[in-house]
Amino acid sequence: MSTIALTAPAAMPPAPAKTSGYLVLAPSCLVLTVFFALPMGTTIGMSFTDGETLAPTLAHYQRFFSDGLSLAGLYRTTVMSILVAVCVTVFGYPVAYYLARSRSRWRAVVFALALAPELAGVVLRTYGWLIILEDRGFINDALLNLGIIASPLPLSKNLFAVVVGLTHVILPFGILSLTTSIQGIDPNLERAAQMLGASRLSVLRHIVLPLSVPGIVSSLLISFTMAASAYATPALLGGARFKVLATMIYEQVLFYIDWRFAAVMAIALLLMMLTVSFLGIRYETRRSNRRTNSEGVFS
Amino acid sequence: MNGVLSCLFWLAIGVVLAFITLPLAVVVAASLSPSSTVTFLPWDWTLEWFGALLSDRWLQPFLLSFRIATVVAAISGVLGILAAYAIVYEKIPGSALIMAGLLSPLSVPQIVKGVAIVLFLSIIGLQGILGTPALIAAHVVLALPFVTRMAATSLTNFDGNLDRAAQSLGATKRQRLQHIVLPMIKPGVLSGVTFAFIISFNNIPLSVFLVRPGDTTLPIAVINYLEYSLDPVMAAVNVASMIFILTVIFLFEKIGGFSTQLHGGSK
Repeated sequence: MSTIALTAPAAMPPAPAKTSGYLVLAPSCLVLTVFFALPMGTTIGMSFTDGETLAPTLAHYQRFFSDGLSLAGLYRTTVMSILVAVCVTVFGYPVAYYLARSRSRWRAVVFALALAPELAGVVLRTYGWLIILEDRGFINDALLNLGIIASPLPLSKNLFAVVVGLTHVILPFGILSLTTSIQGIDPNLERAAQMLGASRLSVLRHIVLPLSVPGIVSSLLISFTMAASAYATPALLGGARFKVLATMIYEQVLFYIDWRFAAVMAIALLLMMLTVSFLGIRYETRRSNRRTNSEGVFS
Repeated sequence: MNGVLSCLFWLAIGVVLAFITLPLAVVVAASLSPSSTVTFLPWDWTLEWFGALLSDRWLQPFLLSFRIATVVAAISGVLGILAAYAIVYEKIPGSALIMAGLLSPLSVPQIVKGVAIVLFLSIIGLQGILGTPALIAAHVVLALPFVTRMAATSLTNFDGNLDRAAQSLGATKRQRLQHIVLPMIKPGVLSGVTFAFIISFNNIPLSVFLVRPGDTTLPIAVINYLEYSLDPVMAAVNVASMIFILTVIFLFEKIGGFSTQLHGGSK
């Protein structure tokens, strides 16, 4: 790390500013090359080569698409991420609307309650859900004691548990993105509609919801990508019975020691994320193009 | 009609807030509950589970996570300031492209970065650095884009006239950097460094590939333990680690006062 001390800005000669500019960038670039670019390149390379002969091959990709287990994992990942994205957006919307519009002193309390869990870390929150949802957890205990059910409900180690846990982890991000979007809507539009006799419901349906579509889309996309790449929550709440791509990659590396297949799965996950981000960017550019066009008409 | 809708609205907010706080409340209750099955009895509580935290089993991983997070925060702080300085202050040619390159790790999921690093180290025969060195390097890769972006935002928002005034009054570049630029971007950099500390301290998806037996970070020790048992010691570990993180944030806030920065709307 001695290079950092040598290139610190305070010690810089004043004259060749541009060269020194590149020089101070060197440590960041070095770290990112050695521990990000080269590993990513290696992973992509490994996915296309044979483990013994190092000859180029598509065999690992063929295996991914022909063995049902991997495709089932991809399918579970997709279903889980869509459900999480919808739950986060639907549950987050009322809170975001309140945060965007309220001027009461309770707003700060709601804000803190909605966002503070983010500081608690994923493990703590997932552990909380484990205690609640487990076979001998709170819900099953209570229902068994009350005699409502005879045997524990299957609340953990399945899709339901993972969706609950991930929705909890991702909800603050959804709320933030929706709040920003709703704050951007002119409140006078809602007041005008109400004054003209529109009910709250039709204000919501015809004004607030349509105008917050960009926020809804970004909340869906953020939640989807965060859910698809999550590791700890699916590992703890889904376990061996509900495997997603992230937990399957871990298994391939540490239990099956099949590096090339792990590389293929990692690339599949990466491509899925990049596709969703690309769709988001395309939606955003189309929308801003449309807006500039229509502004041209009106002004 | 309006009444029904606003009832539903308040009900929805209440349910969502209950959903958000429920698991946290459960963990806190579990950490104070005297029986080894988790119970909610407010009149009956104990701190004995927290005593178990002082054993080597939890102290070792905590100290390792603490050391790693400190080193990661320091390294990514220095590298982030340097990179932002080159891109925003010196405006070197190609800075937009370089910034995109520096932020590119953000678009790759952590689990993919983790597996890529472990595959790369295994292929080139450097498994030896798994454990602390690899953990530090990987966490720096994770934190650096955030710190760079926060430092760059502070440098962009900072009033260049102050710098020009100092220059016209004859201050050398070194004096300007030391007395004007660095103090002005301090809150942004400190919030970046705090963030780097927290994401390193809490990290799972990268660490899970890079820990070695005997060289295990706290979150990984916790999830390994959770596979066998849900006993209240776990709750105590989690609560203690949350209190620790809140203390860190509080201390950095005292030093840097970055909440003004956050309220100012810069990201």
